[in-house]
Amino acid sequence: MTKWIRWWGILGFAAVVALIAALIIVALPFLIKTSIEFVGTKVAGAKVTVDDVNVTLSPLGVQLERLQVADARSPMQNLVEFDKAVADLELAPLLVGKAISNELSITKLQFHTPRENSGAVEVVVDPEEANKPSLKEQALAELPSADDILAKETLKTPQAADALEAAWAQRSQELDTVIAELPDQKVFDKYQTEIQSITSGRLESIEDFKQRKARLDALKKQFKDDRATIQNARDTVQASRKELSAKLAALKSAPGEDLAYLKDKYQLSGAGATNLTGLLFGEDAAGWAKEALYWYNRVLPYLESDGEAEVEEDVKAPRLAGRFVHFPTNDPWPDFMIRRARLTGPFDGGQLVIEGRDITHQQQVIGRPTVFTATGNGLQRIGDLDAKLTLDHVQPKGKDVLTVAISDWKMAPLPLGVAGAELASSRVKLNALVTVKNGGIEASADTRVTQAKFTGDGKTLFAKELNAALNGISQFKVDAGVSGSLQNPEVKFGSDLDRQISSALNKRLRAKQDELEARLQTRLNAQVAEHAGKYAEELQSLMAMEGSLDDKFNALQKLAGTELESFKDQQEREAKEKVEQEKAAAAAKLEQEKAEARAKAKAEADAKKNDAKNQAKDKLKSLF
Amino acid sequence: MLSMLARLFKAINSDAAPGQVAFAFALSMIVGFTPFWSLLNLVVLLIVLVVRVNVSAFLFGVMIFGIIGYLLDPVSASVGEGILTYPELRETWTQLYQNEWARVFAFNNTITMGGLVIAVVLLIPVTLISRMLILQYRHRVLTYVNRLKIVQVIKASKFWMLYTTFAGQ
Repeated sequence: MTKWIRWWGILGFAAVVALIAALIIVALPFLIKTSIEFVGTKVAGAKVTVDDVNVTLSPLGVQLERLQVADARSPMQNLVEFDKAVADLELAPLLVGKAISNELSITKLQFHTPRENSGAVEVVVDPEEANKPSLKEQALAELPSADDILAKETLKTPQAADALEAAWAQRSQELDTVIAELPDQKVFDKYQTEIQSITSGRLESIEDFKQRKARLDALKKQFKDDRATIQNARDTVQASRKELSAKLAALKSAPGEDLAYLKDKYQLSGAGATNLTGLLFGEDAAGWAKEALYWYNRVLPYLESDGEAEVEEDVKAPRLAGRFVHFPTNDPWPDFMIRRARLTGPFDGGQLVIEGRDITHQQQVIGRPTVFTATGNGLQRIGDLDAKLTLDHVQPKGKDVLTVAISDWKMAPLPLGVAGAELASSRVKLNALVTVKNGGIEASADTRVTQAKFTGDGKTLFAKELNAALNGISQFKVDAGVSGSLQNPEVKFGSDLDRQISSALNKRLRAKQDELEARLQTRLNAQVAEHAGKYAEELQSLMAMEGSLDDKFNALQKLAGTELESFKDQQEREAKEKVEQEKAAAAAKLEQEKAEARAKAKAEADAKKNDAKNQAKDKLKSLF
Repeated sequence: MLSMLARLFKAINSDAAPGQVAFAFALSMIVGFTPFWSLLNLVVLLIVLVVRVNVSAFLFGVMIFGIIGYLLDPVSASVGEGILTYPELRETWTQLYQNEWARVFAFNNTITMGGLVIAVVLLIPVTLISRMLILQYRHRVLTYVNRLKIVQVIKASKFWMLYTTFAGQ
C-alpha cells in the first residue's frame, strides 16, 4: 500500500494551495475595486470611484473607503458618496465565485456632494430632452403675446398687403406707359382750333372745299389713333382698378379672417391654465418622477437578468461556464447577494437610515424580493419620512411597489408663475403609492396641504382677483395620479384648490383673451391701414382718371363727327335759305294783315255793343 | 514543454509501472472536462500528488483533454443539465444542495456535473486502453524504433540530451 502513497505530495499540494491563496489575497482588493468601478460606472452612467479596498481574513470580509458615485447629469457633483462600507463575505460561496454578504454597513452616506473633478463619462445626451421647457414654461407658453403670434403665424393680412403692393407695382408701370401716350389738353385745344378753322367761313370755291376736306380727313385719322390710345388707356385703367379693388377688398377682409383663425388656434385651454396644482407641483413632481424613472430604468435590466430570457441564454450560450441549477434551500447562493444592508448618513438636518434586505439581481434563486426601507425622523424639511420599495422579480415580469409617507413637509416658496403669486409657505402631508408592472406604471398620491399662505404683488385686475381668491384658502387637498407606460406616463392632478379659484382664473383667461384679441385686432388693422389707406387714394385717382378718359374719348368722338359740306351743297343750302327767308317774310306780312283786320272787326263790334247798351239804359230810364 | 515531453517519454520507455502512467493520464480527463478553476480539480491534483502516479503524464493529459473538453463542453452541458434536472434524482440533488461544501464543488453546475460524469465513465476504459498501449509500445515498437536511423539522429539531438539528463543516463 505504501508504495502507492507519495508523502511529499501532500507538501507539494499544500504549497500549491498556499500559492493560489496568496495570489488571490493579493489580487482580490484590486479585483474588487476594479469590478465596483467598472460595473458601477456602467450602471450609473458616470464615474464610480473607490479610494481603497481592504480584504480582511478573519472575519472574511471587505472594507471600502470612500466610494463616490458621480451624477451623470451634473458631473461636478456626486449623486451619492459614503465614507466607509464594511461587508462580511461567506467563504464557501466565494470559492465558487459567488459574493454573498450577510451584513453590509455603510456610514456617513451623503447625497449631492461636490466633486473635485468631473465625473462625466462619454454618454449620449438627448439635446431635445436637455432643452425641453419645464412644465411651468409650457403652461405659460399657452398665453402667447400678440407680437409672438404675429411673428410666428403666417397670416392673410400681410399676404394680402403684399399682394396689393405687388399688383400696384405692376399696374402702375403699365399705367405710366399708357398715360404717357395719351393726348393732353394742348393737343385737344389744337384740335379744336384746327376744326374751327376748317369748318368756319364760307367756301369760296371747289378748290377751297377740297383743301379743307383733306385737312379734316387728316385730322380725323389723328382722332382715330388718339381714340384707340385713349381706349387702350381706359381698358388698362379699368382692369387696374378692378384688380386693385379686389385686392384692396381682400386686404380689408383679411384681418377678420386672421383674427378668427388666431382665436380658434390660440383658444386658451381652460384645463391647462387653470391647473394651478399642476403649476405648483408639476415641475417638482416631474423632476422626482424623472429621477426615479432614470434610476429604475438603470436597475431594471439587472433585476430582470435572471428571468426567462437568461435561462434560455444560459442553456444556449456559455462554454466553460455552464449553468448553475438551483434547488430549494434555506441558504441560496446567487452570484451576488447582500442579505442585509444598512446605510446611515446625515440628511436634511437629521439622520436618514436606509435598510435593504436580500439585495440581489437573482431573486429567482433566493425566492424573495429585494426590499428597501428608508426612515428619517425629525428631518428639517420633511418631518418624518417612511418609504418602502419592494422590487419583486421572483417571477418573470415582476412587480415593483413603492410607498412613501411624509408627515410634515415644509415646502419652500413655490411661485405659481402667474400674476406674481406664490405659495409662500405650507405644510404638506403626503402618502404615495407607486406600482410598476409589465412596463406600465400606476401611481397615486394623496397630499394634504395645510397652513397655506399665498402672497402676490400683482397690480393687474386679474392678479388682484387671484390674490383675493388665494388669500381665502389656508388648506387644500391634492390628488395626483400617474398611469400609462414608463416611457410615456400620463400625470393628472386634481385638487379642491383648483375648484376654489377656477372662477378667478376663468376671469383671467377671458380678460387675457379679450386683451389679446384687441391687440391682434389693432395690429392687424394697423397693417391694413398702412397699405389700404395709400392704395385707396390711388384707387380713387384711378377712378377719376377713368372718368377723365371717358370725357376725352367723348370729346374726341365729337370732334371726329365734324363734317365739311360740299360746295354744291353750300349753294343749294344758300338758295334754300333764301326761299325760306322769303316764305317767312310773306307769312309774316300775311299774319300782320290778319291781325290788323281782326283788330278792326273787333273795334266795330265793340262800338255796336256800346250803342245797344246805351239804348237799353235809356229805355229803362223812360220806364221809371 | 520539451522537458515535460522528455519526462513523459522517460516514463513510457522506462520500467515505470504502466498502470501509474495510464491512471495519471486518465485522471487528467477530469480536469480537462470540467471548469479548470474549481475545488474538484484541486482534489484531483491532491490525488495525483499523493498517489504515486506519473505527474508528467497527468500534466500532458490535462493539455490534451483540456482541448478535447473545450470542444466537448456543449455535450457536457447537456449531460449535466439532463442529470441535474432528472426528476428521479431531484431529491438527491436537493439534499446534497443543503450541504454548502457540496455546493463548493459546484456539483450543480451543468458542465462540472456533465464533464465529471463523462470523465468518470471513461476513467477505467481510458486507464486500461492507455496501459495496454504503453505495454504494446514497450514490447513491440520500442525495440524496432531504437533501430531506426531517425532515432539514431534524434539520440544525437538536444532533445535527447535533455531526455538523458532527466533519465540519468
